[in-house]
Amino acid sequence: MVQYLPVTRLTNGTYLLGQMTLPSIFRSLKTRALSCAAVAAMPLFLGGWGNWNWLTGPQSTFDTKGPVAESQLDVFYVTLWVTGITFVIVAGILAYATFKFRARKTDDLKAVIPHQGHGNPLIELGLIGLSVLALVFIAVPTLRAIWYTYDVPAEEKASAYEVNAIGLQWWFKFEYPAEQIDGAGTLVTGNELVIPAGRPVRINLRTSDVIHSFWVPKLAGKVDMIPNRGNHLWLKADEPGYFWGQCAEYCGESHAVMRFRVIALNETDFAAWVAHQKTPARTVAPYSVLNGAPAAPYEFNNPGRNAPGYSADFDKAPFAAWQAKQEIDAGEDPALIAQGRQIFQQKTCTSCHAVRGHEGAGVTAPDLTHIGSRTTIAAGLLENTKQNLHRWIAHPNEVKPGNKMYVGVPLQSGVMAGYVKIDPATGKPEETPHITVSDAEARALVAYLHSLK
Amino acid sequence: MSAHAKTDFVGHDTHAAAPVEKRSWLLTRPTAKTGLVSWLTTVDHKKIGLLYGISALFFFLVGGFEALLIRIQLAVPNNTFISHQLYNELFTMHATTMIFLAVMPLSAAFFNYMMPLQIGARDVAFPRLNGFAFWVFLAGAIVLNIGWFVKSGAPDAGWFGYAPLTSTAYSNQFAGDMSTDLWVMGLQILGVSSVVGSLNFIVTIINMRAPGMTMMRLPVFTWMTLVTAFLIILSFPAITIALVELMMDRSFGTSFFDVSGGGLPILWQHLFWIFGHPEVYILILPAMGIVSEILPTFARKPLFGYPIIVFSGATIGFLGFGVWSHHMFTTGMGTVATAAFSLLTMAIAVPTGVKMFNWIGTLWGGHLQMRTPMMFALGFMWMFMMGGFSGVMHSAAPADAQQQDSYFVVAHFHYVLIGGSIFALLAGIHYWFPLIFGRKVSEFWGKLSFWVIFIGFNVTFFPMHFLGLNGMPRRTAVYDGNMGWNDANLIATVGALVLGVGIAIYFGVMIYTYFKGEKTTHDEWDARTLEWTVPSTPPPEHNFDVIPTVHARDAFWYEKTHKAEIEKEKAEHAKAEQDHGGIHMPSQSWFPIVAATGLLIGAIFFVNHIMIGAIAGGAIMFLGVYLWAVEGPGGYHIHLDDKNHDKH
Repeated sequence: MVQYLPVTRLTNGTYLLGQMTLPSIFRSLKTRALSCAAVAAMPLFLGGWGNWNWLTGPQSTFDTKGPVAESQLDVFYVTLWVTGITFVIVAGILAYATFKFRARKTDDLKAVIPHQGHGNPLIELGLIGLSVLALVFIAVPTLRAIWYTYDVPAEEKASAYEVNAIGLQWWFKFEYPAEQIDGAGTLVTGNELVIPAGRPVRINLRTSDVIHSFWVPKLAGKVDMIPNRGNHLWLKADEPGYFWGQCAEYCGESHAVMRFRVIALNETDFAAWVAHQKTPARTVAPYSVLNGAPAAPYEFNNPGRNAPGYSADFDKAPFAAWQAKQEIDAGEDPALIAQGRQIFQQKTCTSCHAVRGHEGAGVTAPDLTHIGSRTTIAAGLLENTKQNLHRWIAHPNEVKPGNKMYVGVPLQSGVMAGYVKIDPATGKPEETPHITVSDAEARALVAYLHSLK
Repeated sequence: MSAHAKTDFVGHDTHAAAPVEKRSWLLTRPTAKTGLVSWLTTVDHKKIGLLYGISALFFFLVGGFEALLIRIQLAVPNNTFISHQLYNELFTMHATTMIFLAVMPLSAAFFNYMMPLQIGARDVAFPRLNGFAFWVFLAGAIVLNIGWFVKSGAPDAGWFGYAPLTSTAYSNQFAGDMSTDLWVMGLQILGVSSVVGSLNFIVTIINMRAPGMTMMRLPVFTWMTLVTAFLIILSFPAITIALVELMMDRSFGTSFFDVSGGGLPILWQHLFWIFGHPEVYILILPAMGIVSEILPTFARKPLFGYPIIVFSGATIGFLGFGVWSHHMFTTGMGTVATAAFSLLTMAIAVPTGVKMFNWIGTLWGGHLQMRTPMMFALGFMWMFMMGGFSGVMHSAAPADAQQQDSYFVVAHFHYVLIGGSIFALLAGIHYWFPLIFGRKVSEFWGKLSFWVIFIGFNVTFFPMHFLGLNGMPRRTAVYDGNMGWNDANLIATVGALVLGVGIAIYFGVMIYTYFKGEKTTHDEWDARTLEWTVPSTPPPEHNFDVIPTVHARDAFWYEKTHKAEIEKEKAEHAKAEQDHGGIHMPSQSWFPIVAATGLLIGAIFFVNHIMIGAIAGGAIMFLGVYLWAVEGPGGYHIHLDDKNHDKH
């Protein structure tokens, strides 16, 4: 029953090659040429169309800003071309076959019994060969990029800058092993990773609890942070810039709001930033007048859970916003700041948060020594405005459900309470909260934390 | 024609020399042919297939409802429709339900119902084991879903439950949280069901084929049943081990995955995906089998390149065990392992592509009848092709570093699982409905449901490719409105609602047709395989009046073109069978459901750490198995009325 490509001449003068007529082959060639043109235009199309932002968001994998993400995008384009062309050919033939051979009238559904051919080994084997060939086109750049993206290239190793990124439920801690502070060890920040631009950065990926994944789409694809495993990735920002990142591995209740930012600075700015970060927390002397008269109290209404913490103004020029954040705020109120610093101790914030040079010494929560100079709070979730910080301090569980500041930390010997004290037997919070923050207290804390430039 | 069967001998074999022994009530086999007892004690592969099918469709609706809640939450940015916790439970249960409680059992329903008919057998090799597999499946499904109704809530660690998120340290931070235990026990029990069922299918296909039904004449759906069954018995041990280790960690303080005790969380991922990747093919190969049945029937010509389709299915089965780490390209495996798994994953695209070429070859030169099952099968080809191409994109590990755990992956696997598996299963329901229920689904409503589902599906999932490439991670309960994700998410939600309407139409039409649909003669589609040679629709309990003799690959097509020869042969065989004692049928039994109930009771007590209850459940199971053994194989003969048996 096997057929070996019988070439037969039909009465209408066309040739039948296997089951394919020659005109149909030419027609499919035409389809192919058209499809090539369409696919060639694809990168243009993907680049963005006026307001169409489907592929140009802050975490776009197309708008690459560094060689690692670029190399990954190049591989993606290869796969897109190969599969796109194959799709157009196969889909074209499928569509053609469907229309050409369908029964046109209901009454002749069973009228015609077509030739009961069982296959054609030459066509079948040929198509297997072609498939393998198409895959080779993908395999070669894939292999090259696997080695390139894995680690800093040998010739750039000497200039690479090294940082440690540590995932925690649900925030990121960043350590700078190259920057040692006398008496205080390694420089540590939280949720905003500042790196030198134009220089490869090797990031050691660690976690202190469950699996997280470090992903800054414009700079590099993700690599997971896995307990008991020393992972790393490398990336390079070609130019100074401001980048969005997010945890990409499901890590528990608030996974969706575990985000971070990366800021790339030129060599001078980076050195200045490091030097400033190494200094202890800024102290505002009581009764001193700085930078103008105290500003009027801000308006605060709790916007409720999941409310947005971003603004169009910020998004327009995030890097400029970051630079502005390094300056001391106008209208500081020294008295309020001093009060906030006391409340920070009274509310036991100090047992988890560190404020180097001030009272805080905790290490289980983000280091707040220079919190006032960060553009975001709550792990890259909210812009670091007075209202947002107030909201985060006063209503943490509505911003990030299940966060440790609110529910506390389970320990071997019971539970260290957060805003609420959880009864280990029932898992329910006790009726009286452990920490309450009134509106006035929150305002003082906001003033204090924002003074920590 | 209904088969006029008389059951003249119940409880033991006609040829047994020993006198009829008096048995205690406990070991007396139930004989109810209708009513609740007949279903609870059934060993008929068709009834068990229906039980599987109805349960699977129920859970398909449950999983779909969960998906709609997820899509409503994601319709707009910063939405507060549901909490993060509930969202996490919903996506965990949506995936677990769709994979283990909808697609797998729906495939199992077709395995059960169609495979014995396709090979010309009267039942599966171990009928009681078949019943046991179903009841155990139901027990597992109950354990998995019970969390919705108790304090701890439903499982919330994701369907692949990555350690150490599943450990007591992170899932029970403050109080005993048994949701993860429910997940562990539920999957463990479902694994028992799958392995038991698969062994049964393998033995049946190898041993119970009708005379002349050589392996290379097997219908492709039966071939895919065989390959899938092997995949199940070879891959489920991996997840069984992983789940036992996790259960040990959670209940008895071992440290397989606990870092503080020196455990390795990455071990879970390897064990899980060594199961999990073959599982992907467990979900798609039956679908490919169904499509390989439907296309030849409606193209009215044999499958193009049958041997290559069969071998490519088997090749996919083999290679499927060598690609698991492509789910782990971002776990820092190093360059060599990443490269190896990248290339192997590309390699698996070849046998998959070959199937697509051969299906197109089947259409080529045919006379295509555009009936509803054909529409769904063609829909499958288009959607599976697109899912296949995005799969090739993932195989390039560097590109996957951006796509992994993003909505691009979500788009990809819904294209292969809905566009692939579900479309084919929906096609299969339409295709075999006339055979199973003797009624025909209206072409208008069938096609309407197809188009609404097809459009709704694409509107839902195509935009997700863009979401993923634009950096939206999966499993996120909320997103900000400044990320460029708003339009695509809203469109996807609208699409999901359209898809929901399509599914509602589909189910409505099926239910209507079951009660009021137009009656059909058997062989509604002028089909080609043996299941359509049953003497009546619905098929009689004994399937075939005479065990068919197979002369060609498309056995029924051959019969239709060689009527005289087949008539003569059947008459001879009927006489031989009658002389041999009539048609041998298996006896019903209570013990499969008793043993499965023991498993259910034991699991629920174990999850609550009430070990006495767990042991009691185990005892019930062992008692069920013991009495099952003691009651013996049973079986009885039926004799067809001579004057009726030639009328089909």
